[in-house]
Amino acid sequence: MNHLSPDELQHIMEAYKSWVADLGDQYLGGQRLEDHGTLLKSKDEEILTDGPFLESKEIIAGYFLIQAKDQEDANKIAQSSPHLGLYTIEVRPIAFPKMK
Amino acid sequence: MVEHLFRNEYGKMLATLIRLFGTPHIGLAEDIVQETLIAAIEHWAVEGIPDNPSGWLVQVAKRKALNELKRQKIRLHHEDQLLFRQENTVEEKAVFLEDEIKDNQLRMIFTCCHPALSTESQIALTLKTLCGFGVKEVAKALLSTESTINKRLYRAKETIRKSQSSFNIPQGKELETRLQAVSLTLYLMFNEGYNATSGELPIQKGLCLEAIRLTKLLKEHFKHHRRLSALLALMCFHAARFGARIDNGGAIVLFEDQDRSLWDKELIQIGMNHLADSFPDDSLSSYHIEAQIAAEHCLAESFENTDWQSLYKLYELLGKLKPNPVVELNLAIIQGRINGLEASLKQLESLAKKNTLSHYHLLPATQGMFLMQLARYKEALPYFEAALQLKPSTAELEMINSKISECKEKLSKAK
Repeated sequence: MNHLSPDELQHIMEAYKSWVADLGDQYLGGQRLEDHGTLLKSKDEEILTDGPFLESKEIIAGYFLIQAKDQEDANKIAQSSPHLGLYTIEVRPIAFPKMK
Repeated sequence: MVEHLFRNEYGKMLATLIRLFGTPHIGLAEDIVQETLIAAIEHWAVEGIPDNPSGWLVQVAKRKALNELKRQKIRLHHEDQLLFRQENTVEEKAVFLEDEIKDNQLRMIFTCCHPALSTESQIALTLKTLCGFGVKEVAKALLSTESTINKRLYRAKETIRKSQSSFNIPQGKELETRLQAVSLTLYLMFNEGYNATSGELPIQKGLCLEAIRLTKLLKEHFKHHRRLSALLALMCFHAARFGARIDNGGAIVLFEDQDRSLWDKELIQIGMNHLADSFPDDSLSSYHIEAQIAAEHCLAESFENTDWQSLYKLYELLGKLKPNPVVELNLAIIQGRINGLEASLKQLESLAKKNTLSHYHLLPATQGMFLMQLARYKEALPYFEAALQLKPSTAELEMINSKISECKEKLSKAK
């Protein structure tokens, strides 16, 4: 698959900027993760590697945190995210204790 | 944020990384630049755009490149470590960096216009690497498909890899030859953008502007090669008329019908300056003459007040330098302005008999137009029909069809 062109990426960035601004308080933060790190499978087995560890399609590129009423609301927010131009998104609620 | 910021920075970053990795690693360099732009999205969207976006991008790209070098144990191609100092806060270093970036882009131009590559491949590679066009955009620009362009780019990079060419600006005699080839490629790139009246206008215009930008870069570096000034002048003159060539509906506006107030006077003036810079020169090139011809048109107040006599002489000169049936066509057309349309039609008829332009739709289209202007509508129709058969662009097709309708209308009214 071809890379997205610089113009297309810029377009996504501008969309991302508006998205974060529009979410306001609901956007709690986000981080991109580095490509390197360590993979641990069990106590005894330690694999130190620079990564990426998995098939490139399955790398976790990063995460973002939002506040939403419920899963449906969260899904809507994620759906509107420009990340979908670049990545797939998994929408997971944080388990107890939940934030107020 | 500046339009096309990412696109403009792409070429600079890529050239810098290729300076580091060497030409066999163009693919790797492209990947790193891509990652850098994605990192920019993530950071800038939340933190805001940095004061020096260019600097930010180069820093991050360098950091990623260094990591990759360590990982893959690629040896640094270029010894100059200055590029890798993390903080370039001193002003002198900043200037050095700017010159270095320009030099790297120049090196990149010569790499892309490698003699072993076909002109189409040179143009495709230049657009992709130096101009930051995506594959889809290159395909649109060159009226091709993504898969064809992908193949071209792959083969081009392979050719370069195998040739083991150094990332250098050629010198001496080699420079002369390579500059000629590069000039031709940029001329053809401009042509692609200028001629395509189908395809997407912003992309086509982008092609022309990129050709101008790169030619300018070359001119600034090779000040004594006046041919580059001539080439730049002619590009400016043609680009200056962009605003008038297509109407609001996307239809072609013929040269004689163009609203000259829509011509970019500033760009014409810039063209004039470049034209002045192109003389004196050791030898007259076709670029010099074409620039003069374009200048002549740009200076004329109106179509009627154009100095056709001078233009005729210029085309004759061009024809002597670069014998070419299209030049002959232009001469015949100008004949029409000087000696009347009947004289021109005679010349066009004899030109047609030579069969050198049997695939060129503009010949019968011109014959049709002139016959129409002489109110010989019935005679005009078969010429227009013939032009349709010769694969004009979509916009040209529409234009020819509208002329056909006009002729038919006039004929039915006469009855």
